[in-house]
Amino acid sequence: MDGSVQESGLPQGNLLNEFVEAIMDRDKARIAATRTTIVETLGEAAMVDAAATIAAFNAYTRMADATGIPLEAPKAEATVELRQELGLEALNNG
Amino acid sequence: MDRPYDASPVVMRVDLAAALNRNHERLAQPGSWLDGAQRLAVVAEARHAWDCLLCRKHKSSGSPYSVDGNHDALGILAPAWVEVIHRVVTDPGRLSQRWYQEALDSGIAEDEIIEVISVTVQAVVTDCFTTAIGMETPSFPDAATGQPPRRHAPEARPGPGWAATIAPEDAGPDFVDFYDNESHFFIRRSLTLVPDETRRLWELLNALYMEDPRIYELEGLERGISRAQMEFLAARASALLGCYY
Repeated sequence: MDGSVQESGLPQGNLLNEFVEAIMDRDKARIAATRTTIVETLGEAAMVDAAATIAAFNAYTRMADATGIPLEAPKAEATVELRQELGLEALNNG
Repeated sequence: MDRPYDASPVVMRVDLAAALNRNHERLAQPGSWLDGAQRLAVVAEARHAWDCLLCRKHKSSGSPYSVDGNHDALGILAPAWVEVIHRVVTDPGRLSQRWYQEALDSGIAEDEIIEVISVTVQAVVTDCFTTAIGMETPSFPDAATGQPPRRHAPEARPGPGWAATIAPEDAGPDFVDFYDNESHFFIRRSLTLVPDETRRLWELLNALYMEDPRIYELEGLERGISRAQMEFLAARASALLGCYY
């Protein structure tokens, strides 16, 4: 993971992206540095809820992937073009 | 340690600390199909999986089936359980129906597989959270005595993925409230083969994220970041894990 994402336009998006990438990389030094910056910039409550959201999506993803659940029909219909454009169907290894 | 999240190095929402404390306590207690010692063994194996050489080889290979070998395991649980745990922890984006079927073929009851997945997920989630906030991983109390009820949910049927689940229309009176507010998302249904365990898991997840994700803004929900920032983090975490659900 190299942080090579485009500017999100989201307030503090780059900082939050650094936090999520550091956590997913399990890089404790990088996590600590980013945590400090988030607390100084957005506050402690923001850091805690960012951590909580990232933790929760470490669950949802694993639950979905371990049980092979498909997209719900309305979501599938709404994202046909996007999934084709990104080639996501090729990743369906179920 | 009792209620370890009360000693967190940072201030957190009361409901979040309470959910984390309850989850910590329950992981050492008999579940629905696993006893307390087995549940703690699953947690320990999930933490150990990150250091598994075979898992690292799997992760760096084109297919997890192109590398043979044995997992570096703690030696407490059966190899088939270890395979489930390690793959869920270290390579979830490439789990497949073949992997699930192989777990079933190994002789593990499907209900047990689901509880193993749930406990593994809880271990990953809580370790992810404590590491992120700079808190040491809490130690567990001794496993509580007692046996799990091991009651199969007869209303469960295969689908919508490869695991059996309880569909909203099949939920009995003791479980129908789980689908209140039209929360019929497949992700919520995914582990319902073991209803009480899935309730335990979702109690934690609701506190970490939110109970009803259909809202556009936080609408009174107490969170330190905006809804847009939450969804950005959610999307990035999912992408980094290779999950496209």
